[in-house]
Amino acid sequence: MYIGIDVGGTCTDAVLLDRGAVRATAKVSTREDLLLTLLEALDEVMKGINGELIERVVFSTTVITNLIAEKKYDPVGLILMPGPGLNPNLYRFPTDTYIIQGAIDYRGREIIPLRLAEVDRVAEELAARGYRKVAVVGKFSCRNHRHEKEVAARLRWNYPNWHIEEGHQVAGQLNFPRRVVSTYLTCATREKYQFFVRSIREAISQRGIKGGVFILKADGGTLPLESSLEVPVETIFSGPAASTLGVQALMPPGESAVVVDIGGTTTDLALILSGQPLLASRGVRVDDMLTHVRALAVKSVPVGGDSVVERVGKDIVIYSERLGAPYCLGGPVPTTTDALRVLGLTRLGDAERAREAMQILGGPLGLSPAEVASQVTGEVIETIVQEIENMFTRWEQEPAYRVWEVLQKKKVRPSTVVGVGGGAAGFISQIAARLGGYPVIPPYAPVANAIGAAVARPTLQVTLRADTEQGFYIIQEEGYQGKITDRSFNEEKALELAKEWLCKRASRYGLEDCMEGLEVTRREVFNMVRDWVTIGRLIDITVQTRRGILYHVGGGGYRYEK
Amino acid sequence: MKNKKTGLVFFPAFDWAISPTHPEREERLLYTRDQIFEEGVLDLPEIEEYAPRLATIHDVARVHFCVPRVQSQVTEAHLIAAGSATLLADAIIQGELKNGFALVRPPGHHAMRVVHGNRGFCNINNEAILVEYLRRHHGIKRIAIVDSDVHHGDGTQDIFYHDPDVLFISFHQDGRTIYPGTGFPNELGGPGAYARTINVPLPPGLGDETFHYVVDNLILPILDDFKPEFIINSAGQDNHFTDPLGSMRFTARGYAEFTRKLNPHLAVLEGGYAIETALPYVNLAILLALAGHDYSYIEEPERPGRMQENPERAAMVKRIVDQLRDIWENRDRVDLDKIFGTGTFYQRRKHIYYDTDYIEEEQLEKVRRCPNCPGYITIDSRADHGYGHPSHVFCVSIPFAACGACQAEAYDVYQQARKSSQYQYIYLQDKSTDTFLAFDRDKGQEWVSEGPGVGE
Repeated sequence: MYIGIDVGGTCTDAVLLDRGAVRATAKVSTREDLLLTLLEALDEVMKGINGELIERVVFSTTVITNLIAEKKYDPVGLILMPGPGLNPNLYRFPTDTYIIQGAIDYRGREIIPLRLAEVDRVAEELAARGYRKVAVVGKFSCRNHRHEKEVAARLRWNYPNWHIEEGHQVAGQLNFPRRVVSTYLTCATREKYQFFVRSIREAISQRGIKGGVFILKADGGTLPLESSLEVPVETIFSGPAASTLGVQALMPPGESAVVVDIGGTTTDLALILSGQPLLASRGVRVDDMLTHVRALAVKSVPVGGDSVVERVGKDIVIYSERLGAPYCLGGPVPTTTDALRVLGLTRLGDAERAREAMQILGGPLGLSPAEVASQVTGEVIETIVQEIENMFTRWEQEPAYRVWEVLQKKKVRPSTVVGVGGGAAGFISQIAARLGGYPVIPPYAPVANAIGAAVARPTLQVTLRADTEQGFYIIQEEGYQGKITDRSFNEEKALELAKEWLCKRASRYGLEDCMEGLEVTRREVFNMVRDWVTIGRLIDITVQTRRGILYHVGGGGYRYEK
Repeated sequence: MKNKKTGLVFFPAFDWAISPTHPEREERLLYTRDQIFEEGVLDLPEIEEYAPRLATIHDVARVHFCVPRVQSQVTEAHLIAAGSATLLADAIIQGELKNGFALVRPPGHHAMRVVHGNRGFCNINNEAILVEYLRRHHGIKRIAIVDSDVHHGDGTQDIFYHDPDVLFISFHQDGRTIYPGTGFPNELGGPGAYARTINVPLPPGLGDETFHYVVDNLILPILDDFKPEFIINSAGQDNHFTDPLGSMRFTARGYAEFTRKLNPHLAVLEGGYAIETALPYVNLAILLALAGHDYSYIEEPERPGRMQENPERAAMVKRIVDQLRDIWENRDRVDLDKIFGTGTFYQRRKHIYYDTDYIEEEQLEKVRRCPNCPGYITIDSRADHGYGHPSHVFCVSIPFAACGACQAEAYDVYQQARKSSQYQYIYLQDKSTDTFLAFDRDKGQEWVSEGPGVGE
């Protein structure tokens, strides 16, 4: 049996799956103490179930999100090697930043050497300012990590107690400023995250669960609890991924759909295209800083079932905040849910109180409760539909760097609009009508997020870059740089090598059984030609384990995703 | 203007090459991509990346006579490069962007009005397609093109040689020392567009100092006078000191400084084949300059050295600048009949060599000297491919601002040519009505293109 737990801002959902069937669900309030919340949800779905029957527990966590939002982490100093390029003063990082000499170019060649005396001087200053955590990041360190390693080694030698993070180990993709932020956040949160992982591990073993424990990531993949220690920041923003995967699990395989998750105060929009959730092309923004953290392409709209509605002069305005439950459920102020109640689009709460709420808003304007209600729901629907349209446009506007990519671009408008989350029932049919699609509210929609967590596949990827002219290759995720000795090294051999590394990585994480159905997600080969002669090749290959879900849920039986 | 963005279309065509080892190959913008992505400039709020778009066959036919048809001379990559320029121009005219950079390949500034094949790595002229697009779709009249490629922009010059509303300025390495061997100060435009073509040949070896002397003392003053509504920079980067084809000594910062001063609406990448030592840095520099950012921290790993500019060569450039300033200032006082004669037609013979495709073309170009409009143009073109029969075609081009009489006369000329047995294909390009005709004599068939959707 699988357990999925998704921690939200107000509620935490849990589900117990027995193959394709939902055996138990639970909804508890999210409390200040994340650990207590998780355990409460866990205990509730496990009522009467022996811990030994649980093969797998997956949960999302807001621990990093909260640490960052509340800035409850130790200060981190930055040592950067930006080299020539953008004016480094353009980068604004929220901490003391020291720029030192040293530069690497796009092919990993040193263009400006390091000066260790400067490293020592900067380290002394950081020490004098009380820093014990330092992130060291160089431009193009993903192409050659030598400078970062040298600086880090120097710091460790002089300050053995310091916690040092190196950029190339956190983020192997191109984009230096994002690498700085990702490394900074990793350095800032790792220690506290370790503490959290330890407590979880203990609590779970107390309950006799011997199955695997996984953490959901923002890109919809999962990682074994212990492995998530390597990349704590990747655990943020996993909520929207949970609901999207849940919809994927509750839908027939291979379908395309718009996912509309209407919660209390926000609505999350996502796309499933031919059965796979769409990934965002760039990393997420955390605390107003751009990172390398991959996530599903999710748009959050600040409107939901508990959004406060007020009269301002002659206008009726919907606000993004929540001041408690809807009026019809005994809350203090009118909300969008009250509007739905008046129109008969939901059966939640008391009809009379809902009318009263609309009367409070519309009375002075001479509007009947029904008129106010349709005005309010109309506006919510308009806002959401507009954002869905924008999301399609943005997706169609994604840059393309190859002729075939430009030519294959076409307008895709999924005809299925899936509603999940508490507020979906009232709005989804009208949203679908506006988009010209069919509304679907799958069974178990209110706990789709927990289902998504339960069935999310573990994901691992390995990115290999080989430069045959210089005779070396890099495994980005491992921060490994190795020599190429084989003189006939080519694309096929590079692919085999990448797969080997993925295998190694999988066995380190105890995920050997994920190696079936590997996907090659990037395969770029450039001949390097100088003076009309081919002198080498640049090969970039990314292999990953299959993304998505382990099986579909519903209808009693269960179908494994092909 | 202040809070508007700089638009970028980055289209490196990673799956398109002229041939595997040709300079115009997949690898050309690879390191530029690395540099631009790693710097994180696409995250800057002042820069917005756009997805490329295809130009239409009709957009190409508005400029070129492609033999036998547009479809036989262009690949999708060409249409994407041209379409990216028009896409950015749309956003600029609509006020979404303050300026833009079409960082695209393949290039186009050697492509002339008649296209028998590829010359100077170019098939169709991205800037010319943009100019005609701006006139047709946005009602823009006066346009300036400043070509900063090391090679003379002979294709662009050819297309606008008789067009008084398009100012074409090219500075480049002296044609006696580099392809295509043209672009001398005496090439000044036809009788109807005198001094609307300005060429500044630069002796090899000169650097940023001379570059900026030309910019400050010739290009900017002329632009000030001409008052274009839209400025296009044909942004070739092969004047860079590391370029393998050129022998100039410009730097990335020199290019950035030029971009800042010129302040073009749109920069369109042309040549530049130092793909590792120049392009990543020059492209970044141009992009930052367009976005109004500091580019003073950009530095190539190699330095141009302390070599002093050769004073004699620098003095020669100053003389050319003075001479051209003089011609520009007296452009309306000059006796055109003295230069071009008094006939109703002005004609010139051209021998055009297609270096990439080894084609020899002989052209007789005639322009009607009309007091009311720029006059229609006819071109008799014979191209020898080195095998089989040479292709012989006849082209008639009616300018955008044609008068009724010229338009009517041009249609007659086209009908007459259709009756002649010497031409395989006869073309009529009526820019005033946006209608393009092509007649295939062997098949006795006429094609008409009246806009996208027709014949596509």
